[in-house]
Amino acid sequence: MADPIVLAEDLRHSYGGKRFALNGVSFSVQKGEVFGLLGKNGAGKSTLIKAMTTLIRPTSGTLRIFGMDPGKDGKRIRSRIGVVQQGESFDFTSVEGNFDVYGVLWGVPREERHRRREALIQRFGLEEIRRRRSFDISGGQKRRVQVAREFIHDMEILFLDEPTVGMDVIMRRTLLDSIREEVKRGLTVVFTTHNLEEADYVCDRIAVIDEGKLLVLDEVENLKRLYGGKKTIDLTVQPGGAATFFPALEEGLGPGTSITSEGDSVVILTDDPKDSLAKILELSQKMGVQLEWVSVRKNTLEDVFLRSVSHGGEPNGGA
Amino acid sequence: MEAPNITRLIYRNIKVNTDPGSLTILIGLPAMYLVFFGFGFASLASTAGGGSTYLSFLTPGLMGFQAVMAGSVGGGMLWADRRWGMLAQLLVGPFTRLQYLMGIMLTSVAFGLVGALVMLGIAYLLLGALPVSFVGVLVMLAVITVGSIFFGSLMLLIAALVKSNTTYNSIQILVLFLVNFASTVFYPFSSGLPTALKVLFAVNPLTYIADAVRAGYFGTYTATVGYEVVVLCAETVVVLFLATRAYMRSDVSLD
Repeated sequence: MADPIVLAEDLRHSYGGKRFALNGVSFSVQKGEVFGLLGKNGAGKSTLIKAMTTLIRPTSGTLRIFGMDPGKDGKRIRSRIGVVQQGESFDFTSVEGNFDVYGVLWGVPREERHRRREALIQRFGLEEIRRRRSFDISGGQKRRVQVAREFIHDMEILFLDEPTVGMDVIMRRTLLDSIREEVKRGLTVVFTTHNLEEADYVCDRIAVIDEGKLLVLDEVENLKRLYGGKKTIDLTVQPGGAATFFPALEEGLGPGTSITSEGDSVVILTDDPKDSLAKILELSQKMGVQLEWVSVRKNTLEDVFLRSVSHGGEPNGGA
Repeated sequence: MEAPNITRLIYRNIKVNTDPGSLTILIGLPAMYLVFFGFGFASLASTAGGGSTYLSFLTPGLMGFQAVMAGSVGGGMLWADRRWGMLAQLLVGPFTRLQYLMGIMLTSVAFGLVGALVMLGIAYLLLGALPVSFVGVLVMLAVITVGSIFFGSLMLLIAALVKSNTTYNSIQILVLFLVNFASTVFYPFSSGLPTALKVLFAVNPLTYIADAVRAGYFGTYTATVGYEVVVLCAETVVVLFLATRAYMRSDVSLD
């Protein structure tokens, strides 16, 4: 296998020595893959992005980008990467002016710069706002400009820190499709998001991070298989029924299932949904608990995410 | 051929800071001082025996004042780049922190020099003839370059340390007022000044800048002016060091 583009081994970072935002993270990113980083707010995703883009130096551990040490070869690394940061970043000029200035900063020749600017303005639907000041456009439009602008220069790996926040559905899909197109041409992408559907749509592999620790890391389909059995049953009971019914259910369903409850609802992951449903109905009749909603579905990435975070990375919560 | 990094940063700094509002403040304010104060105070100066020469006195002072204006633009650039996320964005690009700092500093110098030359041009239009020689112009530009670095560094130091927009603006207004009016830009040093004001005049780098630019303008080089230039250079080195240190340690954004 070729050398990874990103290699992190036992990476740790603390802010002021108080709290570990990264606590022993290890992973690698291969050329041409879309690597998703999932996690709650404050999980450590942005810290990891900052470390990989040389903005911060990790407290300890090993980090290599293109085989180089960000602490020593920061400038050489940065000349080969693209970064869309979580916060806004704009110059006090028009939308198209932002493209031009950014292209100049990256040393893109004039004609090529103009060609790319026009193509990006068209691809990201920015024609109507191209002459407006970048501070006068809406949040979603700003995000669109910020992401589009990054494509004006060449890069080998693109770091996207929650790039679709504030974007409408159509634009979100345009961006994700653009990423896929660029990946076909050899681009590598590291992508953080809260949106599990888009991670499912675009990522090859996904790492779930929580409290600075990497909980799981695998291909999307493997994760769906591994975390939570073959099917998911969503169940809601009448108000007040959960307190006695859910503990009894956990005991009655037996091995091969796991239960995550919240309020009057419960998510059951099971290898054998037919058997589980029969047991649920039998138990509810026996206990006199009215079922308000029952559905059976395939696992989604959301199930993976919720389960891995709530069970500290243990498949099926150790079930 | 690809332009060097610092050149690209200077281009960007000039491009995004030459909107009509910034230019009006940078050039318009000193130009208004020149016209309003130059003619307005001429009658007072005339009563005191100065007459129309006040405009000549004021011209090099306001050329020196361009160093302060350029410095405030430099500090403003760092402040805005931190506030609006461009500093962090540039620092994940092909630039080093030091190159970014150099870019701002050299942009400040460029603004200071252009502003001073514009001031000289306006004075020529108002006065018809100027006493300054070619060597004098070079001396003036050299002093304004050092002055722009001094005030650029001072404003960068403030921008690197302060996190609130209101605080930054308040400090900037206070600094501008103090260095402007406790200097020899508008009036000569007088032994009749209260002691506190005398001290302010004596420690104010703008006094040294205004005196040295005036010496270049009139071709009257004295030992005192030479001493003032040496002190100005020493102060500039110290403030530049402090500003660089504060900036290198500062957060790249205000998040």
